[in-house]
Amino acid sequence: MPLDTSTYSLALLRLDGRRWNELRRLTAQISTQAAADGSSYLEMGNTKVICTVTGPLEAKSTSGNRSGGDRADVQVSIRIAGFSGVDRKRRGRGDKRTQEMQTTIANAFSQSLFTHLYPHSTITLSLHILSQDGSLLAALLNASTLALIDAGIPMRDYICACTAGSTSSYSSNDEKADPLLDLNNMEEQELPFLTVATLGDTDDVSVLVMETRVQIGRLEGMLAVGVDGCKQVREILDQVVRKRGTKILEGSQL
Amino acid sequence: MPREVEPSLNEKQFFAKALQENIRLDGRALDQFRALELDFGDEYGVADVKLGKTRVHTHITAEVTTPFPDRPFDGIFTITTELSPMTSPSIELNRPSETETLLSRLLEKTIRRSGALDTESLCLIGGSKCWSIRADVHVLSHDGNLVDASSIAVIAALQHFRKPDTSTEGEQVTVYTVREREPVPLSLLHFPLCVTFSFYGEGLLGKGGEEEGEAVLVDANLMEEQLREGSVTVGINRHGEVCQIAKLGGLPVDAVALLNCVKVAGVKVKELSKFIAGRLEADAKKRDKGGLMAELRADNDRVS
Repeated sequence: MPLDTSTYSLALLRLDGRRWNELRRLTAQISTQAAADGSSYLEMGNTKVICTVTGPLEAKSTSGNRSGGDRADVQVSIRIAGFSGVDRKRRGRGDKRTQEMQTTIANAFSQSLFTHLYPHSTITLSLHILSQDGSLLAALLNASTLALIDAGIPMRDYICACTAGSTSSYSSNDEKADPLLDLNNMEEQELPFLTVATLGDTDDVSVLVMETRVQIGRLEGMLAVGVDGCKQVREILDQVVRKRGTKILEGSQL
Repeated sequence: MPREVEPSLNEKQFFAKALQENIRLDGRALDQFRALELDFGDEYGVADVKLGKTRVHTHITAEVTTPFPDRPFDGIFTITTELSPMTSPSIELNRPSETETLLSRLLEKTIRRSGALDTESLCLIGGSKCWSIRADVHVLSHDGNLVDASSIAVIAALQHFRKPDTSTEGEQVTVYTVREREPVPLSLLHFPLCVTFSFYGEGLLGKGGEEEGEAVLVDANLMEEQLREGSVTVGINRHGEVCQIAKLGGLPVDAVALLNCVKVAGVKVKELSKFIAGRLEADAKKRDKGGLMAELRADNDRVS
């Protein structure tokens, strides 16, 4: 289904009424599951994910440990609910796209967490996707950050992620093409886009995934908008954490 | 699950010390590829790439099948990767490792999803007959940078491959043998290749070195790959169209440095494309023994 992007240039408004640099509504909760060591629920527009953290706990077998035992191993499992997409498609656990996302999240967090404080142990992240509407990997990364904070695992800084796209298709060479922030599913189908995750307030990119064809000159604008979006996401996530913190403090005073 | 033997502490320190002085253990410049060799087999569509000690063999095959019901006018193009225990003792049979999953995903994204092969040209009769092109990637020896070597092998083999000529009359498709009609090349739209960059940061090089605490290497060998803290693979064609970027976690790298990597990849891909084109031309010359006139000549070769 081709998306009619021609209307964008008339009013500079996207299909859902946003401007080019606006995020969708991003809401999150921490400690949603009492049984887990850390948990979070995150919505980025209509993309909804739940994350639970178990650990750090003793590694079941050291042979599967990639880091050789002197630091904690981060393991990620992603489950995609059957009702999450538009068409009900069963995805096996062997799906390579899911496996790639798991590896990405595990690699990103094993760098940002202080894993050397927990030798011979495992930190398990279990992610459930309830609803998909674009920016899936970004939502998963953000939810994981919140759940790991809830679990109290020390980390260098937040890993915040969002997507950025461009209104031009790869073939057209128009210089007027605008970069876009935080694409939804329809825009992702049609436009070139990338997922970017930065570490905290810095410009240091931890994850950068692009799967569509785009002119090399277009990339700089997209990346700049994406990194800027990550900073906005960080503000929102930080507020969520602080709100939770004050609530705990108020509760302890009673 | 057996694990790869990790570099020893001595090797690690030696490597780090050398890297601080911008020296690689094999004497290459930081942005230099290893010696690249590309050979074609006697058959069409067989390519053998050697990148230093890394060796990848690719075989393209074609057969006529029915297209997928949701895409009746598209042919089928699949890339399958295989890492056997012959490659490295850490690889087990029938159990896809992380290396293999990432390799096949990267090739898939770079070559298949970017539309390098025009699948519509593979259609014979809409909805009932189409060509299925299959690229088998066999890694024969693993000394780092499988992705770049495999992408070169697949793209070279696709350009080298010739599929049997066909003619369609109504619902009747005739596939001609090589003797009846000269086989035809595939219709390729562009030639994307991968370039992988490896990042080394504080964890290896230590804090507060005299120079900047980060190093970027192109075409890492196995040891450099084991010691790296992050990597980015850029799929790009020689026209400067980026087909995919994959920085899957790892060491956080400045956004400007990443853009720089993409630019370097663009230059490298131009060199690699030129190399592949040169090898293809040499192979075509070897096959073409004096053209059609030589083939039609009736007189025999005489021993003088």
